[in-house]
Amino acid sequence: MNLLLGQILNGIATGMLYALMGLGLSLITGVLNIPNFAHGALFAIGAYFLVSVVGLLGNFWLGLLVAPIGVALLGLLIEYAGVRRLYAAGHDYQLLFTFGLALILNELIIVIWGPVGISHLPPAILRGGVDLGFTFYPKYRLFVMAMAGLLVVATWLFLEKTRYGAIMRAGIENKEMVSLLGIDIHWLFTVAFALGAYLAGIAGALTAPIRGLSPGMGVDMLGIAFVVVALGGLGNLLGAIAAGLLIGVAQAVVAAYWTEASTAVIFAVMAAVLLVRPQGLFGIR
Amino acid sequence: MKRREILKIGAAAASLGFPAIIRAQPKEIVMLGLWDQTGAFADVGPLNDRGMRMALEERGMKVLGQPIKYITRDGATQAGTSTRRAEEAIDGEGARFMIGPWSSGVALAVSEVAKRKKVLHFFSGGTEDISGARCHRYSFQWAASPYTAAKTVVDNFMKANPKAKRWHLLVADYAFGWSVEKYIKEVGKTHGLEFVGADRHPLGEREFSNYVQKAAANKPDVVAMINFGGDAVAGAREIFNFGLTPKLPLIMCWSSGVEELIQLAPEIRENLWVGSNFYYTADTPVAKEFVKNYRAKFGTPPGYAPSAAYSMTRLMLAGFDKAKSSEVEAVIKALEGIEVNDLLGRMRVEPATHQTLRPYFFLRCKPKKAMKEELDFADVIATGDSPLPKEYAACKDIGGF
Repeated sequence: MNLLLGQILNGIATGMLYALMGLGLSLITGVLNIPNFAHGALFAIGAYFLVSVVGLLGNFWLGLLVAPIGVALLGLLIEYAGVRRLYAAGHDYQLLFTFGLALILNELIIVIWGPVGISHLPPAILRGGVDLGFTFYPKYRLFVMAMAGLLVVATWLFLEKTRYGAIMRAGIENKEMVSLLGIDIHWLFTVAFALGAYLAGIAGALTAPIRGLSPGMGVDMLGIAFVVVALGGLGNLLGAIAAGLLIGVAQAVVAAYWTEASTAVIFAVMAAVLLVRPQGLFGIR
Repeated sequence: MKRREILKIGAAAASLGFPAIIRAQPKEIVMLGLWDQTGAFADVGPLNDRGMRMALEERGMKVLGQPIKYITRDGATQAGTSTRRAEEAIDGEGARFMIGPWSSGVALAVSEVAKRKKVLHFFSGGTEDISGARCHRYSFQWAASPYTAAKTVVDNFMKANPKAKRWHLLVADYAFGWSVEKYIKEVGKTHGLEFVGADRHPLGEREFSNYVQKAAANKPDVVAMINFGGDAVAGAREIFNFGLTPKLPLIMCWSSGVEELIQLAPEIRENLWVGSNFYYTADTPVAKEFVKNYRAKFGTPPGYAPSAAYSMTRLMLAGFDKAKSSEVEAVIKALEGIEVNDLLGRMRVEPATHQTLRPYFFLRCKPKKAMKEELDFADVIATGDSPLPKEYAACKDIGGF
C-alpha cells in the first residue's frame, strides 16, 4: 500500500511535467494548427539554458526565472522569422519547418554544450528528502510538483479569466471570426507560440536536476507530449492537463507491478482512450 | 523523346555506372564501422568512431602495404536499419571487415548478416550469444564474457563489503541485461546473496523514480544496476535523489567508466562501485600511449566505447599481420587463438568460441575530496579474468566457412 501511494506521488510529479509540456504543445497546435515538432528541442534548450545561467550567475532561482524566458524569446523568434512566413505556403511546409528546426536545435545543443550528458544537482535547500510517513520523498520532486501545479493553474487562469486569454481561446475555436473582429491574428499566433515555448522551457529547466541533461532529452519528451495532446483532445487545454496526469500516474502504478511495461503503458492508455473516444478525453473534434 | 536521345541517356547512365563497379572491386581494404549516430546510442557512436579511426591512423591507413578505406554507417540503434546499412556497405562499397554496432541486441542481427555475407565481424558488448548460443565462424566478441564481469564484480565487492548480502537489481530489459543478470545471480549463490528484487526496465528509460521507490521498499543492502549509458546515468541520479546513495552502495555492473562517470556530479558518485571493460588508468604501455594521444586530441580520457573500437581494430589488424593476407578466411583463421600483449595486457582469442579472454576492471569511485583532478573518478581496486566455465558454454560448434 505504501509503495502504491509512493508511486502515485511519483506519477503526479512526472504527470505535472507532462501536463506542462502538453499544455504548451496543445496551445501551439490549437492556435496555429501545426504540430510543433520542435517542442521537444525547446524543452531541452530550457534545461541547457538553466545550467548555463546557473553556471554564470551561481543562482538556481535566477536560472529558473531567466531560462524559460530565454526559450520564450526563442519561440517568439521562431514564429516571427520562420513559421509566420509559411502560413501562405500551407500546412506541410510548416510541419517540415518545425521538423527541420528540431533537428537543427538538437545539433546546436551538441555544438554548444557537447555530446556528453551533464549532471545538475538541485539547489542546496532542496537536496535530500523528507519522510512522508508512507515513503521517503525527495524535496526537489515535491517542489517540482508544487511549481508545475502553480504554472498549470496560472496558465489556466490566464486563458480563462483574462481578455487576452479569451481571444486566444477564440482563436483556437475560429480564427477567421477572430480576425474579422479586427484582432491582429498574427500577433496572437506569435504570443501563443512564445507562451507554448515558455511552458516547454520551464518544464525542461525543472526536469534538469531530476533527469540530467543530454542532447536527446527532448526527443523522449516530444513523443510523450504528442500523446498528451492526442489523449486530451487537440487544442483542448483542460484535456492536456488531465491527460498529462493520467499518463504520469499510469506509468508509475504499472511500474510498481510490471516494470517492463512502464513505457508501453503510455501508448496503451492512449490507444485505449482513443478507441473509446477518438476525439480525446475532452476534445470536441 | 526520340530513340537516339534515349540511347544517349542510356550511354551516359552506363558511363556513370562503370566507375562505381570498378570502385566496388578495390585493391584497397574496405573496413566498415557500424556506429550509431541516432537512436538510443547516438551519443556513443561518435566515440566508437574516434577509437577505430585512431587505430587505423596509427598504421597510416594501411595494412600489409595495402590502403585501408574506412567507411562508417549509422545503424540508428535499430536492428532493421543496421542490417540494411551493413548490407548496403558490403554490397555497394565492398566492405569485408566490419566492427560494431554498440547495442548487443542489434549486433546479434548484424552478426547474422556477417555470416550470410561471409564478412569478418568484430563486436564488443554484453550479450553472451555472439560467442555463445549464436556463435559462428565470422563474428568475434571483444568484451569480457558476462560471466567474467559478474564474477569480477561480485567477488570483489563482497570482499570489500562482506555483510552486504541483500541485493536489489535494476536490469535493462534486453539481451545484455539478461546475460549479466543470469551470472550475477549464479555467482551470487556462491556468496549466499539474497536477491530481494530484480526489476527490468526498457532500454532508453529516463524516469527511474518508480524503480527507485520500489528498490527502497525492499530495504536492500546494495543496489546493483545492470544497464548502460544514459539508462545507468539516469538511474544513478535518481537513486541519489531518493537518498539511497551514499548511505547504500550502488554498483554499476557493466559501465563505460569515463563516459558515464563524467555525467554524474561527484556527490552522486560517492559510494559508487563500477565494473567496466576498460578504465583509462590501465597499466599497460599500449593503454598509456593511447590515453595520452586521446586526451591530447579530445580533452577527456577515453572510456569503454572508444577503447573497445580502438582495441578491436588493433586486434583485427594483428590478424592481418599474422595471416599475411587480407582474405577474410585467412584473417579469421589467424585470429583464432591469437595472443597479444595489447591495450588491456594479455589478450587471447578463444578459437572454439571467438570470445576474447581478457581482464575486466572493478573500480571504486573516489569521494570528492580525494579526487586529484576533475577526471580522477575512481581507483581500480581489482581486475578479474575468470573465463566462462565449460558447463555454461553455449557455443558447441563454431562451424565452418
